[in-house]
Amino acid sequence: MSRYFGWLFTMLVMLAVSAPLQALTYEVGGCKRGSGYVNFTTISAAVVGVPAGATIQVCPGVYPEQVTITQPLTLKGIASGNSNRAVITINPNGNLAPNVTSVIGEYLYAQVLVQNVNPPGPVNIIGITVDGTNGPQQGCTDASGFAGIFYASGTAGTVNEVTARNQIGGCGLGAGIWIENGAGPTQAITVENSSVRNMDGPGIHNVSDQTPATITATIKGNFMTSANSLAGNIEAVGVWVLGGAGTVANNFITGGSTGISNSGNIFGPCCAITVSGNVLADIPGTLGTAILYSPNGSTAQSNKISNVYTAFDLTGSATVKSNTSMNTAYGVLLRCSANTVSGNTLNDSTYGFYQALSLITGNANFNLDTIQAGSCP
Amino acid sequence: MSRYLGWFFLAVVMLAASAPLQALQYEVGGCRTGSGYKNFTTISAAVAGVPAGVTILVCPGVYPEQVTITQPLTLKGIRSGNANRAVITFNPNGNQAPNVTSMLGPFYAQVLVQNVSPAGAVSIVGITVDGSGINLGSPPPYVAGIFYASGTSGTVNEVTARNQMNGGVGVWVENGSSTSDTLTIENNSVHNQGFGGIWANAATSSTLTATVSGNFLSNLSSGGAIELLIAANGEISGNVVTSSPYPTSSAIYADGSVVISGNLVADVNKGIGPTSGTTVKSNKLSNVRTAMALPSEDTGAITSNTIMNTVCAIDFFGGASSSGTMSGNVINDSQYGFAGWSGPTITGNAFYNIDTIQTTSIPCPGP
Repeated sequence: MSRYFGWLFTMLVMLAVSAPLQALTYEVGGCKRGSGYVNFTTISAAVVGVPAGATIQVCPGVYPEQVTITQPLTLKGIASGNSNRAVITINPNGNLAPNVTSVIGEYLYAQVLVQNVNPPGPVNIIGITVDGTNGPQQGCTDASGFAGIFYASGTAGTVNEVTARNQIGGCGLGAGIWIENGAGPTQAITVENSSVRNMDGPGIHNVSDQTPATITATIKGNFMTSANSLAGNIEAVGVWVLGGAGTVANNFITGGSTGISNSGNIFGPCCAITVSGNVLADIPGTLGTAILYSPNGSTAQSNKISNVYTAFDLTGSATVKSNTSMNTAYGVLLRCSANTVSGNTLNDSTYGFYQALSLITGNANFNLDTIQAGSCP
Repeated sequence: MSRYLGWFFLAVVMLAASAPLQALQYEVGGCRTGSGYKNFTTISAAVAGVPAGVTILVCPGVYPEQVTITQPLTLKGIRSGNANRAVITFNPNGNQAPNVTSMLGPFYAQVLVQNVSPAGAVSIVGITVDGSGINLGSPPPYVAGIFYASGTSGTVNEVTARNQMNGGVGVWVENGSSTSDTLTIENNSVHNQGFGGIWANAATSSTLTATVSGNFLSNLSSGGAIELLIAANGEISGNVVTSSPYPTSSAIYADGSVVISGNLVADVNKGIGPTSGTTVKSNKLSNVRTAMALPSEDTGAITSNTIMNTVCAIDFFGGASSSGTMSGNVINDSQYGFAGWSGPTITGNAFYNIDTIQTTSIPCPGP
């Protein structure tokens, strides 16, 4: 019997010794308290006050802050009671001046800024809402912009199950999630399963000024709806790849002026991306395009497109296959450039293929007023 | 050797004998002519003038006709030259009275399938039915682009149905008869209807099995986009339904044991309205005021759906104290997760960015 007591004593000693070594949990907002928690009242205080690599749990509530993250960590919204929405909002008494300059020269007010991360490591943002209501309204002539979440050059990580909303900066200057990289090692950033809505600029912006691109982004499973609230605004793009590389898959994008755009980098054509399994709908204005490619060797495969003006607007060297498009004015607009277009199903278009260099075959066409038109020089 | 020659001779005789039996091709519009074709100038003349069971090829062009099909056949739009759109349009100088009485009331049907004899499938493939210009008084009768009456079966595939405004439905199928009707409605473009997109309606004493899959619907200004009513059963899968902001009807609605799966619904007021025994799985809903509007008697399974950007993700409207399986759903960015719910806490779903996870109040408009 005494042997068993001996074991019990040993275990108790071990427990007592291990307790101080148990990882502390870092919390913002006060919904989790007790000896195991280190509490912060603001997210800004937490992101500088925790050790590198820690997870910060953010309680439901409203956080009128501009947050700058400069070390690897995970910022995670949690449930408490009957809510699990932690919202980072604009501080009406705070500074609304730009706090970061993009590699493409744009001055940006970023609500959550990830930059100069030291030591190197991923910054993950999970289950947080970033709301841009009452943010800087710049107007159409100002060169400065506005972003909900901004990953600056040299940073990496994952944005998952986030809500980014109401980043309206004026004439296309509001972006939901902006990720970029300049010179230096290639960075990997994933933006997934997020609700991104009511921007007048890009919902998700993947930017690099290097050739080849120094950012590889995985943008998948996001649901996006654009405001496109200003007449003639053509920057309300669901996913806008501007010099970046990677994949855009299984997103559900409606509204705005363009669904997915790979417009090359600031110097010209650049950087192939793969666009697959996305659903794009309700972009009916005469500038409305589901998928827009500059010449960059990109692939668009197995996307579904409904109720848009132009399903594909290509300027060369793209592969467009196995997509289904219905209810469009233009199915595939090739602009007299060489693309591979095959295995697609087009139903219900005024024009199936426009400005192709040669006869397009190998697609299933139904209810097209004109299958192919538009001459090339 | 003579034995081989004998075989060869026999084969030649068989070929010669079979040539006169080779089926004629039936064509409307004049883009295919020659000895192998029997030509018609109107679709109406063709559907009455061909033998049962054949395929009628319809050339690109505009056909201002009201078409009634009473025998099994396939009506198929074809390509000629640089077009492949054969459009059936409203004839302003033709009949303007209702031509069929549905279970709902009198209908003006642009393409009517009824009293099919001998029994068999009527299939419509690659045709556009455009309801522009139909304005039949006030209050107007219902309008349908394509109408399958009681006792008919078949397939509607790769069709465009558009501009059935003023009480219009793109495709209406119904069964109030004692036959078992089977309809497949797939891969169609259905848009700009004043009332509904694709509706199936069956009396409780009837059997109507509808498969509604792969259709893209948009701009439905009044009723639901896809509805399987009363005793209609089957599946609603893989459809894309957008831009239908009518406040009270669900974009996809089903009575009874229907499987609603893999649909993509966005930019509507109400998303999916299942009823008792309906299975709702793996759908994606975005930018919808109420993603799922459940009646009090719901006992179906609602699993693995992804819902973002809603006011009410799932609304029980206060009548429920128990539900069927509700698990594996992912809900992100909603003011209310489970609304109008007075039962115990529902677990097994993933919530992100929900202002109020569960409430007994009914903050969203009723079903």
